[in-house]
Amino acid sequence: MIEVEHLSKHFTLRAPTGGGGALRSFLSRERRVVRAVDDLSFRVGAGEIVGYLGPNGAGKSTTIKMLTGLLVPTSGDLRVDGVVPWRARRTYVARIGAVFGQRTTLWWDLPVIESLELLGHVYRVPPGRLRSNLREFGELLGLGEFLHTPVRALSLGQRMRADLCAALLHDPHLLFLDEPTIGLDVVAKERIREFVRRVNRERGTTVLLTTHDLADVQKLCRRVMIIDHGRLLYDGDLGALQDRFGGERRLVVDLAEAADVEVEGARVVERDGPRVTLAFRREDVSASDLIRRVTERHAVRDLSVLEPDIEGTVREIYEKNLLGA
Amino acid sequence: MLAHLGLYRRLVLAQVRSQLRYRASFVMDVLAVMVTSGAEFAAVGLVFASFDRVGGWRLGEVAFLYGLVELSFGLMDLVFGGFDPDFMGAAVRRGELDKLLLRPAPLALQVFGSEFQLRRLGKVLVGTLIFALAVSLAGIDWTPAKVLYLPLVVLGMIMFFGGLFVIGGTITFWTVESVQAMNVLTYGGLTLMSYPMTVYTASLRRLFTYVVPAAFLNYYPALYFLGRPDPFGLPGFAPFLAPLVGAFTLAAAFVFWRFGLRHYGSTGT
Repeated sequence: MIEVEHLSKHFTLRAPTGGGGALRSFLSRERRVVRAVDDLSFRVGAGEIVGYLGPNGAGKSTTIKMLTGLLVPTSGDLRVDGVVPWRARRTYVARIGAVFGQRTTLWWDLPVIESLELLGHVYRVPPGRLRSNLREFGELLGLGEFLHTPVRALSLGQRMRADLCAALLHDPHLLFLDEPTIGLDVVAKERIREFVRRVNRERGTTVLLTTHDLADVQKLCRRVMIIDHGRLLYDGDLGALQDRFGGERRLVVDLAEAADVEVEGARVVERDGPRVTLAFRREDVSASDLIRRVTERHAVRDLSVLEPDIEGTVREIYEKNLLGA
Repeated sequence: MLAHLGLYRRLVLAQVRSQLRYRASFVMDVLAVMVTSGAEFAAVGLVFASFDRVGGWRLGEVAFLYGLVELSFGLMDLVFGGFDPDFMGAAVRRGELDKLLLRPAPLALQVFGSEFQLRRLGKVLVGTLIFALAVSLAGIDWTPAKVLYLPLVVLGMIMFFGGLFVIGGTITFWTVESVQAMNVLTYGGLTLMSYPMTVYTASLRRLFTYVVPAAFLNYYPALYFLGRPDPFGLPGFAPFLAPLVGAFTLAAAFVFWRFGLRHYGSTGT
């Protein structure tokens, strides 16, 4: 479905030449090239849900802008179902849907239902199809209670649900979700994840998800791509990522009295009075061995072992650049 | 094409509906526009309280210029509001333009349908009233040709100012800072066209005749309608260039718009 090969997007900025301000930098001939996306290659098959992760400024949104036809690549190939997005904007965007959590596609002052109907006209959805999609999504997302409320008066969660419906009215094959759960409470997040899962399963809609909420990724994606500095750091199974970079487990020890803890196979990462947190790796030492080593030397009041979550795993990959891109 | 017009109609109607939803605030908006617009003309009236003529023109004749350009600009602002550089600059920053680009309809059509503010009719109304006053005071010798040409002059000015809006709006794809320079041209042009060319210095007059051909949009047509001779001796067809100048400005503006969009596609925001 999505085929990306050696895709790059470079921006040329006027380099400030140290002092002299805006005019000087405007006149200056010096240019600095920023490689927002640098030689990116990947494929996404129809029906996949792929998590696209990376720290801020990694090149995520530049990639999404190219994939949605808003930006023209500097070099490389990009095709979606054989179509080059930016060459055929209008026919292309009719086949994709996008939700940007930070902003709405709906008309601020119009009731939800009028916005949705208007979008039906913009996308030229046949009236029968529009009705049946509105009925189905409306039910799944529980839009009924606020269909006649102006968008400006919706809660964030309601607005996001309405936006999801809006993005799917024209039966897109490919759905871009950019921070679809940002700012929502746990229940609202879960509802949106369930809906995305269902649309993917029942309609075979391919989903590309960018998010900072790694619970979204854990609950929706089997595959993740991690990007930083415009380059792909990891592309593969989410489970394999956790195995491979399983990150460090933590042992939190409450000592009877504060002391220096030094044990083989673990290092102290945090000390807070009598509470000491040790980090250790599965391959260096098992939890039970470590606990034995600690209790042999110190009087311990309480212990707990924390398993690494994906957040820690991914942070570790960003910070240490473990994959050595 | 018909489908496009249908979509435009829907986009505009949707906005009209939402503006009329808050009726009281809508009425206040219109009144505020009318008061501002009316007060500005009242200042012109004050000048005529002490002077009989300005630049050789009587009150009714100046009102003709003033009312015609006022109502034309108001109509333009209603239709081209989405391209207004102040609005477009904010829309580009907020990512609104990306939102429109993600929809399968021509971008310009969506921009036309994105900021249709009925309250601008306040300016149109005031302009029409001033124009009506002018017609009653100036004693125009109406002929069928004049009656037929009048709407073309209005159309010419709508296209001219619309073109300036489109050019200014396009500039916001690069920078929001230079927009003020464009606004000086647009609103300066509007003020300048409200008075006879005879009140300006020769250099300013030449600038707005040969460089920015604003004089052909309102002043020269007014000479024709009012039956006044041309003090500057331009060819006899000068009053009839208004629709051409307008159409040319707008066409050039949309060429620039397309160029700007290509730039936008290579840099984003």
